[in-house]
Amino acid sequence: MNESIQQQVFEIIAKQAKIDVAVITPESTLKDLGIESLDAIELIFDIEEHFDITFPDQQGANFDKDTAQSLVDAVQTALDSKAAGEGSK
Amino acid sequence: MPNVSTRRVVITGMGAISALGVGAEALWQGLREGRSGIAPLRHQDAARVRVKVAAQVPESFDPAVGIDERTLTQLDRTSEFALHAADEAIQQSGLDFSNREVGARTAVVVGTGVGGETTQDEQSRRLYAENATRVHPLSIVRVMTNASASQISIKYGLRGPTFAVASACASANHAIIQAAQMIRYGMADTAITGGTEACISYVVLRGWEAMRVLADDTCRPFSINRRGLVIGEGAGIFVLESLEHAQARGATILAELAGGGMTADATDIVMPSADGAAAAMAQALNEAGLAPDDIDYINAHGTGTQANDATETRAIRLTFGAHADRLAVSSTKSMHGHALGASGALELVAVVNALRYGIVPPTANFDQADPACDLDIVPNVAREMPVWAALSNSFAFGGLNAVLAIKRAP
Repeated sequence: MNESIQQQVFEIIAKQAKIDVAVITPESTLKDLGIESLDAIELIFDIEEHFDITFPDQQGANFDKDTAQSLVDAVQTALDSKAAGEGSK
Repeated sequence: MPNVSTRRVVITGMGAISALGVGAEALWQGLREGRSGIAPLRHQDAARVRVKVAAQVPESFDPAVGIDERTLTQLDRTSEFALHAADEAIQQSGLDFSNREVGARTAVVVGTGVGGETTQDEQSRRLYAENATRVHPLSIVRVMTNASASQISIKYGLRGPTFAVASACASANHAIIQAAQMIRYGMADTAITGGTEACISYVVLRGWEAMRVLADDTCRPFSINRRGLVIGEGAGIFVLESLEHAQARGATILAELAGGGMTADATDIVMPSADGAAAAMAQALNEAGLAPDDIDYINAHGTGTQANDATETRAIRLTFGAHADRLAVSSTKSMHGHALGASGALELVAVVNALRYGIVPPTANFDQADPACDLDIVPNVAREMPVWAALSNSFAFGGLNAVLAIKRAP
């Protein structure tokens, strides 16, 4: 299940960054993958749309340091909280 | 620079509508007291959005005061604000537009980032959500971005160059500079200018949310724990005149609009550049004939986003060198919010009064210092100090910078 979320997130990242999904590792930072500023905002939007989730506000999020794995974790957390019936705001 | 003779431009009237109330005086009283107009969001869709706070014009604002019914139906909220602020500014200036010759030589230039968003949103809702087949017949005249400028022109019979200026969050400053240039170069003797904005609609709130630049607590410019900007609304409108025109009629001069600087970063659509901002400040100083050391106060763009405040600090250091440590710098957006296309105009009210009264309004909601914003930001409490000359910064999405240089009345 986790792997599948990871796979889906990586594919969305690959599409946004126009790169081969194979080059993405859990440790890759968004900056490593060439995703900055508005690209990152769009990426978050794409992920939210795909999973029908809402990330908590990430003002101050650091796209230089955030990794692909941290996005996967954030998706998992949001899905868990949605399943628990808290994520509908 | 071509060698052309230019005229000096002064401010003889100002009016404002803001989260701090109706009138330039209400705005100034709030600012000098360090009182924030940021409050829980009032909106029919408030429960559906994540943003919880905004700097909205109080509900006590009555658009019908002083505006006839026929005109009122033509107005979007944006134009209501602009028209009320213009009434106040024109009244203060004492200009008599019943003399048609004065109106013929008066320009109207009003900045707005978005234009008639409230109307656009209401009518779209009718069509798309309620499946109505008709929209209001005055929708177009309410929505158009030049509506505010045109309504002011019509009300007072002002027949000089009249148009809107749009540059997102720098709209007001670009408009004011444009109006001043027309006076400087003799295209008009007087001008009504400033900025207006009212775009707190469901779709716009959602749009800002998606960009993740909105604070969920309040606006804390230059604090290390700042969490973004707080959307505001309102209008600030000014009467500009050539110095000789103002003197000839014995007008009370509030301040001199000594110079303006306009540049583009030409780098990124949202990430600001210190070089572009610094170049605009240098241009404004140059046109005003001021040295960096002459400036006592800068009303910062200071949105409270991570990117702006640190970049603006670097830009001020680039422009002012060692003098940057002797300047007072404050962001009044901490109190009137980020009124986007009206921001520069609300901030000009702050600067003109800082010059007149020797009081620098503070940066409210200041919490913890940020080493990346190591300027004297006048935390939380206004400061009494003589202010002879000041800058007012506006930097917009799209990488557009517009800076005003203001001096005490001659």
